[in-house]
Formats: sequence, structure tokens, C-alpha cells
Amino acid sequence: MDTTQLLKGVLDLAVLAVLREEDGYGYDILRRLREAGLEEVGDASVYGTLRRLFAAGLLTTYVVPSESGPHRKYYALNAAGRDQLARSGKTWRSFATTMDALLDDRGMAA
Amino acid sequence: MTVTGQDIADYVHRVRAALADLPSAVRDELTEDLPEHLTEVAAEADGTLVERLGEPEAYAAELRAAAGAGEPLGARGGLDRRIAAAAHRARARLSGLDTSLGPILGYASASEFLRLLRPAWWVLRGYLAAALLSAIFSGDLTLVPRPFLSEVTGLLVLVAAVLASIWLGRNSDRLRRWPRRLMHAGALVLVVFGLVLLVNLDERSQWDDFGYQGVSVGDRYDSVQDVFVYDSEGRLVENARLFDQNGVPIRLGYPSCVDPAQPDAALRTGYPYCPEMAPFRPRPPATAPVPPGANGGGATPAPSGSSLPTAAATPTAVPSATVTPAPTGTVPEPSPTR
Repeated sequence: MDTTQLLKGVLDLAVLAVLREEDGYGYDILRRLREAGLEEVGDASVYGTLRRLFAAGLLTTYVVPSESGPHRKYYALNAAGRDQLARSGKTWRSFATTMDALLDDRGMAA
Repeated sequence: MTVTGQDIADYVHRVRAALADLPSAVRDELTEDLPEHLTEVAAEADGTLVERLGEPEAYAAELRAAAGAGEPLGARGGLDRRIAAAAHRARARLSGLDTSLGPILGYASASEFLRLLRPAWWVLRGYLAAALLSAIFSGDLTLVPRPFLSEVTGLLVLVAAVLASIWLGRNSDRLRRWPRRLMHAGALVLVVFGLVLLVNLDERSQWDDFGYQGVSVGDRYDSVQDVFVYDSEGRLVENARLFDQNGVPIRLGYPSCVDPAQPDAALRTGYPYCPEMAPFRPRPPATAPVPPGANGGGATPAPSGSSLPTAAATPTAVPSATVTPAPTGTVPEPSPTR
């Protein structure tokens, strides 16, 4: 099954989760997602998702001047973002549990 | 192969071009980080940007989809999207205006200042509602609402309406969609009514206590430059003075032909300022024996005299020719014969 299809539904959650520990700028968030195993995530998808979450009021941004290279726009979770992360995380876990059970019942456990 | 700054600029340009249908504010926001991001991608490994990220148009489509910025124009629901884009642009411009007008008022944004005025609007809304009620019941527009022609009930209604409006203002956040729309529509009606009331009261304030519209006397005589007084004989009266019933001199016109050396001279002497400009010439002294009854038509004698003879000339000429010879022939005759 194509992972990109799955990613579409959970990219918001993945981005929020990555920002839970530490604020990050676009490229940094992308790298962290890939390091976590989401190899197929697209650059533009991550950027677009960040803009959308920001527009939805779940993220705050601030600019950090850098001595070597361009200034970087950092994204951080705010209270609404943390709230959303908790709720979406719960939904995901219950969904994943259901899927696991479904796959186990059919004897197709990975 | 290394990626140059020009490659990055080209890539950014093509992505932006693919997003050209979006409102410029949205597009700027979406592509804000793109040059920095491409710089990092380029520094990460070898290969062109297109090899790493795909075609700029595909990148733009992915960005657009992930950001939820909508399909390209014309792809689906073109008109709706265009309206939405126009609304978005208008909103962006309004918010720009909001922040740019703020400092003039001494606030961060104009809306911040207007928010402070909300309670004032609630009070005004209550007053307008009471005035509208009063106008409906009494059929008259008054500054103080007085439905049923009583000022006491009017004031009670006014206080109740203001308090209700304030309560509504404080609780409007809890309103659902339709009640809220109803409230906005009502506000629009009240604003229009308020303007009508204002214009009406302003017009009425120009009427005096007796209900007559004040008339400025002066403007009717603005075109008067000079005054010529004629006596019953049709003679121009010089140095005439005019007074009203209170003995106040009536000043009309202005001395237009006065010697510039003595501008006040004409004002002292009286009307007319310029006797030589008189519309009717005084009669020459030779015509003085003419009966006074004819002086009413000072200018008419000439036409009446010329029209009459043309009709009477031929009949009178015949008798005068026949009559006159007879006396001349007869008168000298007797004297020599006698």
C-alpha cells in the first residue's frame, strides 16, 4: 500500500508531534519527520501543512536571525496546538488499535 | 552539479507562477520560506532542484493541497472560488487599512479603537430603537421619543430600550447564526432610520416657533443695484431715503457710479446713487401742460400717438382740405367787401 496515501491523513498529527518536543523551522521539521521514518513525506506537503496549521491558530511563529545564511522562521505549538495534538493523538491511537485488532483477527498481523 | 542562486530564483519564480491565481497575500505567505528551504535542499546533496523536488508546478500543487489553499482557478467551481478570492482580497485590504489607520487614532489598529466604542453603540442603538417605536406609534419624528404623546412613557421606553440594547450587546456572543443575522439587519434598519431622523430634525430646526420656514429677505433684493423714486408727476426724486416701520434706514444696492475719491458721498445723500442711470427719463418741460392723468404712461404716449393717426389720417385729411378753403375764402372776402 502506498504510504503517501496514509500520510495525507496523518501529516497534521505527525507535524504537531514533531513540534511537541522542540520548536523548529521548515527544513528542520522535514528532516525530523524523515529521521523518524516518514521517508516519503514531501517538502511542499510539510510546508503547506505548517502554513495551514498556523492559519488554523495551532502554531505560533517567530523569526530567528542566523549569522550564516538566511533568517529562519520557527514554528512552535501553542495551547490550542497542544490541545489538538492530544485529541488527534487519542483518535489515532484508537483508530490504530482498531486496525490492529482487525488485522489480527484476520490472521494478517505483520 | 551545484545549484546556483539563479536556479533557486527560477524555481521559486515558477512555483509562484503556478500559484498566480491565489490572492497575493496567501501566495506570499505560502512561498515565504521557499528560497531558504531550497538553499538548504541544495546544500544537502548533489543534483538539480527538479531532480530532488520534482517540477515546480508539481511542488506548487502539493503546497497548495497541503495548505488547503484550494484548487487552481477554473479547475472547479471557478465563480465561487473567484468570489471567495475577491472576498479574501477585500478582507486583506480591510485589515491592512485597519492597521494603517490605527496609529492616526492612537491605537494599534482602527478596530481596537472601534471596539472601545461598542458600548456607545449599544446606547445609541437603544435610543434609535426607542425613537423608531415612538415614530411608529405617534407617526411623528421627535428628538425625545414620545409614543402615545406622553413624555413620561417616552422616557420609560427610552430607558428600557437602552438597557435592553446593552444587555443584548453584552450577550451577543452567545447568539446563534440566525438571531445574529437578525440583529445585524436590525442594526442596519436603525442606522438608516437614524440618518432619516437626523436629516428631518435638521430641516425642522430651520423653521421658527410658528412653523414658518424662515425666509432671508436679503436674497430677493440681491440683484437690486440702485433705487429710483418717482413722484406722482413722474419726476425722479433725488436724494430719497427709505426707512422701515422702525425708522431703520433700508439699504439697497450699492453706489456703482460714485466718484472714487468720495465713496461715502452717495451713502449720505440717498437714492438714487446714479440719477443718470434712471430707467424712465423725466418729461421735457414743454409737455408740462399735458393733463396729469397721462403721466402714468410716461413712455406710452409715443406709441399711442403713432398708432391712432394712421387710422384717422385719411378721413381727417379730406375734411381739412375742404373745410379750410371755405373759411380762408370767406374770411378775407367780407373784409374787403365791407
